[in-house]
Amino acid sequence: MGKQLFRYSEENKEKFLESDNISFNDGSVVTPEEIWHYLTVEGPKKYPGSFEVNLYQGNRASRDETLPTSLKTHYLGLTFSDRMEKAKDRGKSIAFIQGGQAVDPYTAADTIALRPGLVNQWYGGLEHGNDINKANLRRRKSKEKAFHDMSFEACQTGGYEHVQEGDLRIDVIAPYTVLRCSDVSYGVEAHRHGPKKDVKLFNVDYPLRYQADKPWAIEYFAQNLRRLVGTLDEVTGRATTEEDVTKAIKLHNEGRRLGTELAELWWSADVPPTNSADRASLVALGNLEVHGDVQASLSVLKEAKKFIAERVKNGVKGHAVIDNPKRIFILGSCVGINGSRSEDAGAIVVGRDDQWSHCTSLVEEEGDPYYNLAKTTLEYPYEQSIEKRAHWTIEQIRKSRADGVIFIHNWGCNTQAAVARPIVDIIKRETGIPTYIHERELGGLQHEQEQNRVNAFIEML
Amino acid sequence: MSIKTLEKVRKRLEERPEELKRAREDGRKVVGWVGYNVPEEIIHALGFIPVRIAVGGDDRLVEVGARYASSKTCVFIREIVGAFAENQDPFIQQTDFLAFDATCLQNYRAAEVIEYFFKKDVVVLGVPRNFDWDEAKQYFAHEANEFTRLLEERAEAPLDASRLAESVALYNDIRKTLKSIYVFQAAKDNVISWEEVYDLIQAGELLDKQEYLSLLQQTLAELQELQQNPVIEGDDGNSRLFISGSLIPRGDRKLIGIIKSVGGRIVGDDLWSGILPHLDLDIKEISPAGVALAYLNRTPHAALPYLDLASDKRLKKLHELLSESKAQGVIYHTLRYCDPFTFKAKETKNVLAKSGIPLLEIHTEYAGSDYEAMKTRVEAFVEMIKIKSEITEEEGVLADA
Repeated sequence: MGKQLFRYSEENKEKFLESDNISFNDGSVVTPEEIWHYLTVEGPKKYPGSFEVNLYQGNRASRDETLPTSLKTHYLGLTFSDRMEKAKDRGKSIAFIQGGQAVDPYTAADTIALRPGLVNQWYGGLEHGNDINKANLRRRKSKEKAFHDMSFEACQTGGYEHVQEGDLRIDVIAPYTVLRCSDVSYGVEAHRHGPKKDVKLFNVDYPLRYQADKPWAIEYFAQNLRRLVGTLDEVTGRATTEEDVTKAIKLHNEGRRLGTELAELWWSADVPPTNSADRASLVALGNLEVHGDVQASLSVLKEAKKFIAERVKNGVKGHAVIDNPKRIFILGSCVGINGSRSEDAGAIVVGRDDQWSHCTSLVEEEGDPYYNLAKTTLEYPYEQSIEKRAHWTIEQIRKSRADGVIFIHNWGCNTQAAVARPIVDIIKRETGIPTYIHERELGGLQHEQEQNRVNAFIEML
Repeated sequence: MSIKTLEKVRKRLEERPEELKRAREDGRKVVGWVGYNVPEEIIHALGFIPVRIAVGGDDRLVEVGARYASSKTCVFIREIVGAFAENQDPFIQQTDFLAFDATCLQNYRAAEVIEYFFKKDVVVLGVPRNFDWDEAKQYFAHEANEFTRLLEERAEAPLDASRLAESVALYNDIRKTLKSIYVFQAAKDNVISWEEVYDLIQAGELLDKQEYLSLLQQTLAELQELQQNPVIEGDDGNSRLFISGSLIPRGDRKLIGIIKSVGGRIVGDDLWSGILPHLDLDIKEISPAGVALAYLNRTPHAALPYLDLASDKRLKKLHELLSESKAQGVIYHTLRYCDPFTFKAKETKNVLAKSGIPLLEIHTEYAGSDYEAMKTRVEAFVEMIKIKSEITEEEGVLADA
């Protein structure tokens, strides 16, 4: 018996077709007609898993079809792998980066920057016709290669399993290392013993411990960024100028401003204007890197803000959101909970610190762009001391009116696991909001045990 | 045959906590340091008493530490955090403030957790990961100056250049004497074992430095009297083993004990808690930056990534030490969640295999539950090396015939 697949309803088509095109980096556009065709004809054939009615992605057989940008982020996600392949065919340079960092210098150097989750998404999309379980098994098999060549205690593996196996055409591994994660720096280093010698390796050294006020640390990190751009230029053959970097900063600042405004608009609503998944996918657009195409993210983000403003104004509630849901804030790197199952249990996810921390960090646009980028990056709230980070988090929790906080860390993520307890302690002490710490496995299908704990927490709230 | 001075060292170690207590009553301050790139000479020159915080082997403290720093932090760090939580360690009890470096990220996190939960005053030295860059050295020089400034605040006095020169000279003498002693343990008909030298090295982390130098010199004199010309030979009938990987601090002797119990002989190490930090430290300029840069220019710690395998100083040093000690195999010790070393285990094994040197990775923690499993693996490895050595010898005899 085949899997039950979700289909977008024809009754929403007309309204969707009235929405905007998506514009891409290369100047091309895709129209709502083309998106609709993809989502209803091509997409379900290529990626049935993404349309599967499955507890993993929610036990309800629909998505928010009346929110056009929700369909567009779905489209961008489904076409991600094809778009990356096409970009490579056209000679575009692609870099592996860290999660939790902005990508302004990569944009300036005309390089697509992909964090680990996006690299996995690219790999996932290369094989068609898989259901959820098959796609997950394929991912796990690939990860085993990295565990074998590095350590089974690894959380992040620097894309080793994809790059060294020759599955993905990544030109350069150049993350901001030790920013929120230590594994990724060892992952970068591991490439030195892999068979692919043509991939460039570069560590953007993020200095540690209260460095934001130290001129020499800012200058050192700025020098890392200059060298990073030089390395990216070696791949592309171009010569990135300071003006290019300033231009990229301005572009990304626009994304960060829009992303922040959209999130604050969402928080300001009496009733949640979207469900957890849509909120997350729209706010994530603010960093402009999430779909491997800065312009595409920006164009959907601009439209999303318009739709959310309209919903907030009219008091429209997001799809499948219950009345007065318990509001949950999620902390930790590369983590999340199953939004729709948590909504079924009576909650809604109202925010995360990961990705949000650097979305809220605007870069000064006047002066030395490298110095400005370095200074802002060293000031990321997520990377500060326990107390500073906790107090910034409390501010976000208050703005989002969260009722509960879950700090999640992946198995093997020592860097976040080590500070989970003190951070939630401060939050609990200063806000009185219930918290709990949760450990999970990166990239696995989310288990019943995890949802049981989340549901018990929601019930307690 | 026993070295009399070693007995004296053991006795002085027992007396040391009380001595520290008295020193503090007299107004001296004790600095507990943790890390690989902490320039101890600066601490010493400012009149502080430096003691290294490195404890291991206690599974109960690991559990205690996990309550504060999670069960996913490396075993060593969890035990340190646990030790601060309980505050029963006689040396930790005597610390006035702490100095950490950010070489290993988990080390750095431990500093944060200890500072937060146990309200300890902690000074942290930033360490660059692109350590071979000129810009990184400039950054580290600034960090060393800042580190010194923070220590000066706590000393309520500036660092005196002549005092620093004296400290550097003292530490240089200690390193030089240790290196001389280290040769004896690897020699044929050795009168001191690697285990004894290892304990002696770690004693220096706690004892008064001037007295420690004197004890080292006495030990060396005894050794020279007993064995005038130590010669290191490869085929001395033992399974000559080298230990590499995660540190093995005071209190953790599980693996070392197992190796000995199955007839293996350790003849060298490149451990963070062993001889390695004392090698190749060449201070060219008497200043905080000069001292710190000399630390950074040593064999780098595995936590600092290096992207070119062929020119990796850590692997080069490993080869050099293996050659000097004439070791026949490497036991690569990795602690649970010690990422700097576990990520490199397979790579190191492959690199050494090219030189015909076998490597056994032992991945462990401080619980006793894996003792027999470890013993079986180490015993098989020792046996394999013996057989390999015998075959080589037989082949040599046949070739001569």
